[in-house]
Amino acid sequence: MSTNIITSEEREKAFAAKKKPEIIEKQRLNVRYHVEDYDTADRPRRFLEAFAAILKHSNYRFALEHFIRMSAKCSRCAVQCPVYQATGDVRDIPCYRSELLLSVYRRHFTISGSLKGRLLSTGYLTDDKIEEMAESFWNCTACKRCTIECPAGIDHALITHLGRYILSEIGIAPRALVVSTREQLEGKTENTSAIPLPALLDTLEFLEDDVKEEKGVEVKFPLNVENSEYFFIPAVSDFLMEAETLMGIVAVFAATGDSWTIGTKYFDAINYGLFYSDRMLERIILKLYGEAERLKTKKILIGECGHASRSAKYYVPTHCGGKNALPVINIMEYTYNAIKEGKLKLKPDTITEVVTYHDPCNIARQGWIVEQPREIIKLFCSNFVEMTPNRSENICCGGGGGTVSIDEIRPYRTLVGGKAKADQIRATGAKYLIAPCANCKKQLRELVEDQKIDCEVVGLHDLIYKAIIFDKSNKNDNSNK
Amino acid sequence: MQALLDFARGPLFRLTFALMVLGLMRILILDIWGIIEAYRKAGDKEIPWKSAIIKTIGWLIPVKRVAKRQPFYSLFAILFHIGLILVPILLYAHVQLWKGSLGFGWITLPKSWADLLTLTTIVFGLAIFLGRLISRNTRFLSRAQDYFWPVILIIPFITGYVCVNMNISPLTYQIFMLVHIFSGELIFVLIPFTKIAHCILVPFSQLIIALAWKFPARVDDDICTTLNKKGAPV
Repeated sequence: MSTNIITSEEREKAFAAKKKPEIIEKQRLNVRYHVEDYDTADRPRRFLEAFAAILKHSNYRFALEHFIRMSAKCSRCAVQCPVYQATGDVRDIPCYRSELLLSVYRRHFTISGSLKGRLLSTGYLTDDKIEEMAESFWNCTACKRCTIECPAGIDHALITHLGRYILSEIGIAPRALVVSTREQLEGKTENTSAIPLPALLDTLEFLEDDVKEEKGVEVKFPLNVENSEYFFIPAVSDFLMEAETLMGIVAVFAATGDSWTIGTKYFDAINYGLFYSDRMLERIILKLYGEAERLKTKKILIGECGHASRSAKYYVPTHCGGKNALPVINIMEYTYNAIKEGKLKLKPDTITEVVTYHDPCNIARQGWIVEQPREIIKLFCSNFVEMTPNRSENICCGGGGGTVSIDEIRPYRTLVGGKAKADQIRATGAKYLIAPCANCKKQLRELVEDQKIDCEVVGLHDLIYKAIIFDKSNKNDNSNK
Repeated sequence: MQALLDFARGPLFRLTFALMVLGLMRILILDIWGIIEAYRKAGDKEIPWKSAIIKTIGWLIPVKRVAKRQPFYSLFAILFHIGLILVPILLYAHVQLWKGSLGFGWITLPKSWADLLTLTTIVFGLAIFLGRLISRNTRFLSRAQDYFWPVILIIPFITGYVCVNMNISPLTYQIFMLVHIFSGELIFVLIPFTKIAHCILVPFSQLIIALAWKFPARVDDDICTTLNKKGAPV
């Protein structure tokens, strides 16, 4: 990865203070993101209580024990971190970020650490340190590139994940994420974008009409069809912002004829719990699974969204019965399989402009979905170029780890977090940048705008929609058998 | 002087070596126990064994990781480790000592190889130390032990090399040998309590980070109860 440190002008813009001093003082928190008012008294004690409760009921302790014995402070991770590469600030070295929490663990939760601390009267958790963690853990985009470079095998992203979780238990978490999650779990609309059901139904009808008009094919977004093969659930923002992705998906189903359904009781796969709270992650997973069970579906199909796919794929089995839980797949896997089985055909050379593909960290880092989209793209795009590095070593869009939803830090995201990505995109000269992830798409659109890159950010199914071939046999099949 | 040498070679060696073995066994058992417990508690028991094993082997034999980034640093680190591991275990003189007390020995390095590896360990150990000192990043991250280790680790190599290869007076020889043994024994004692514990723990890292993301099932209620947050809004 080669990117330059940002200019002083960019730095000023990215780190400009936007919060009123009286709010900072009231919340005792000088961070760029907004936080809801919370109890600021006795923060260190409450932080430690939350830490202790989480350790007691979770699986983090054994990993932290391993990490504190292993950490070699070699700084290799710095080479891989897009944030550090852009800021050049030593406090952005992933290993330093991890040490913020590891030192609290060592001091307060290990025998030798607490003995040493008590004897020397040092190392107490202070308000300053809490403030530093609150800033540092949200500077990170949780892209996990540092983890692939750590010779000791320390998972800095796991530590950041845990740090954010503990902070959220004392009330420190980005307001944007908390408010959305509250609406999703406790609000009337039960989704993060607060879309009322009638509005959703209207949207789907519009989309059906559009497809009919453009492709001459009757399509249907099936609602509440019990016993369907697939329960389809995208990031709810797709219904507002990614009409073409959804049109691509409905067209794919029209071509394959497989049975699928959308649930009207719950239709949002977004899981901000993955970014700030395991407790919320669990609640959202249970809600999603409840809808799948209500619909008596056989498989859960997540739309084009990295974190929604990862959270469902890995935490549906965790909370809903392990091996016996319903299988979770991503829409790109579905489409890929449909092509392999001959159920779906795409017209070669439909897209002749330069096309490149952005690997969303949450589905690519572990090597889960990397080749399938590439094979699909090559079927109908004649001018596909790779970004380097790619696949499981891809560079984050700069809005990962939930930061994309924090609108007030946009300059930070597009000038710092996304700097390396912008360089990468520019180097391809692509006309279309395919990013099959709701988070990445939002971030990349803002990134190409702020960084003045002439490039259109699209989903994979947006382009598939252009290339799809309807046979006579599947025409008029509303795929809702 | 001879009595001191005999003490260092005999009882002190046995004590410090035993401390190292016991200390390493302790953390090894704790690590493995942690893995078993985490697996038992995990709601999802599908562990990506294959990828964890491939990554572990990749890091134990890190040839693939050299060419990519920081080539000199990674190359130096690898060459440093090769001598550091092989020479103490396979040096002819060391094996003879083991043979004397255990009654059996094992294969040894040819002298020329042992000398070469000793020199590379010294040179690359110094390079790593200087690198840590020069780089702004590592200076910022380093604790005292991070500077201490490359230095203390090459002391037995330097003294051993001098004793074997240089024409020195018997007294100087004894002094160097004493430093050689004492520094080695200090290393033994410190290994389990410092970052050098990675010598035994590193094979478990990839499995641990795969398993650490496997959370226990449905703990929301338990945590809420512990934190008195039952029924509290999001």
